[in-house]
Amino acid sequence: MIKAHPSEALLYQYSSGELSCAMSLMVATHIDMCPSCQRVSAEIEQHLCEKHFDEIAAKWDQKQCDDMLAAIFSSESSHPLIHNDPNNMICLQGRRFNLPPTLANNAYRIGDWNHMLGKLWRAPVSIGGVENTNLIYMEPGATVPEHTHKGVEATLVVNGTFSDEYDSYEDGDFIMLDASRKHSPRTVQEDCLTLATLDAPLHFTSGISRLLNPFSSLFFK
Amino acid sequence: METVSGHASQRKVMKRAQQDTAERAAELLATVAEKRSRAAFSELFSHFAPKLQAYGTRQFGNEQTAMDLVQETMTNVWHKAHLFKPDRGSPSTWIFTIARNIRFDLLRKNKRRKDEISADELWPILSEQNDNLDDDYALDHDVLMQEIKHYYHQLPDAQRIVVEKIYVEGKSQQEVSDSLNIPLGTVKSRTRLALKKLKELIVEHD
Ligand SMILES: [Zn+2]
Repeated sequence: MIKAHPSEALLYQYSSGELSCAMSLMVATHIDMCPSCQRVSAEIEQHLCEKHFDEIAAKWDQKQCDDMLAAIFSSESSHPLIHNDPNNMICLQGRRFNLPPTLANNAYRIGDWNHMLGKLWRAPVSIGGVENTNLIYMEPGATVPEHTHKGVEATLVVNGTFSDEYDSYEDGDFIMLDASRKHSPRTVQEDCLTLATLDAPLHFTSGISRLLNPFSSLFFK
Repeated sequence: METVSGHASQRKVMKRAQQDTAERAAELLATVAEKRSRAAFSELFSHFAPKLQAYGTRQFGNEQTAMDLVQETMTNVWHKAHLFKPDRGSPSTWIFTIARNIRFDLLRKNKRRKDEISADELWPILSEQNDNLDDDYALDHDVLMQEIKHYYHQLPDAQRIVVEKIYVEGKSQQEVSDSLNIPLGTVKSRTRLALKKLKELIVEHD
């Protein structure tokens, strides 16, 4: 059962096409997995349509209509740019996992898996824009050292379970943390695949993990 | 930011007229899809083109781009009318989402990086493919890994102690020099060597 959803404000910005590429990908993937947000975003689209198409626009004269109609009737049908992987699957070191439709459409953007450190793996997702978007794989018993971030960290659980100081999160949960919140995500029995977006490097805050701060750019590429 | 619920009452008043328009537009879309009827499309066009133009003008503040948006949107309606699914929403919402997608791409067109995501990839409303959703995104197998401490413990003791005092206990290099009774220059060089070694260890496993 998904309990952590994007806010209605974020869904509204998403449906308006106002979010960055990275955040759009995160929200679209959550919506793939979340029937409740599918309903809400359909309602928002209807509302946006009513709002934007409400304006009393001047009717076009016949000449204006005919010119554009002629161009449309003589146009070729185009195919949308979709790279659909029929298997909807990607592999990591012998593991295979299914991807929600939006990620599957963008599977060709997923780079090679890299071992970060400890029980953490990362594959970059190249979608343009200033943020860093990665698939992060945490093996069972993995810990990301306690950290804060200068910007916003958004995380979506694609499969599995992880916990932090605030809660535990499962498939489909969408978590936004800003600079004021310290946390250290960890897995216990189960592993966890997440999609994560960062707009600034992590800053590690406790104990031995401060050793990582000179290298925190390694977590941000 | 307007909320969806805030518009509920206003929506009720508008509902009746909208339903009539929606039914008519759905019939026209079906006729376009089945018979490639130019007459049916022209009726849709004269209803939606001015609305799209108003939306485009407000979004771009530019008449030419607004007209490009109208033409691209209605071209898709002409070719993709068969992809409209009446059970998923109204015809005008469907047409609005096509325009929303085109706006998303038009806004990025000039400064677009070649790897940047496109609206079709986020909202594949014009994709011919059926969306067969598989809800299980499960993984299998397992692999052995090590923790940060593992790297840390590979440092020589002399370096590890200095780095621990600086980065874990938060001491200054001078304080470490005083407490260990070693020269400040030695503290600095041990720190530098330790960080270099740690970086090598981490990158090696990357
Ligand atoms: Zn949701």
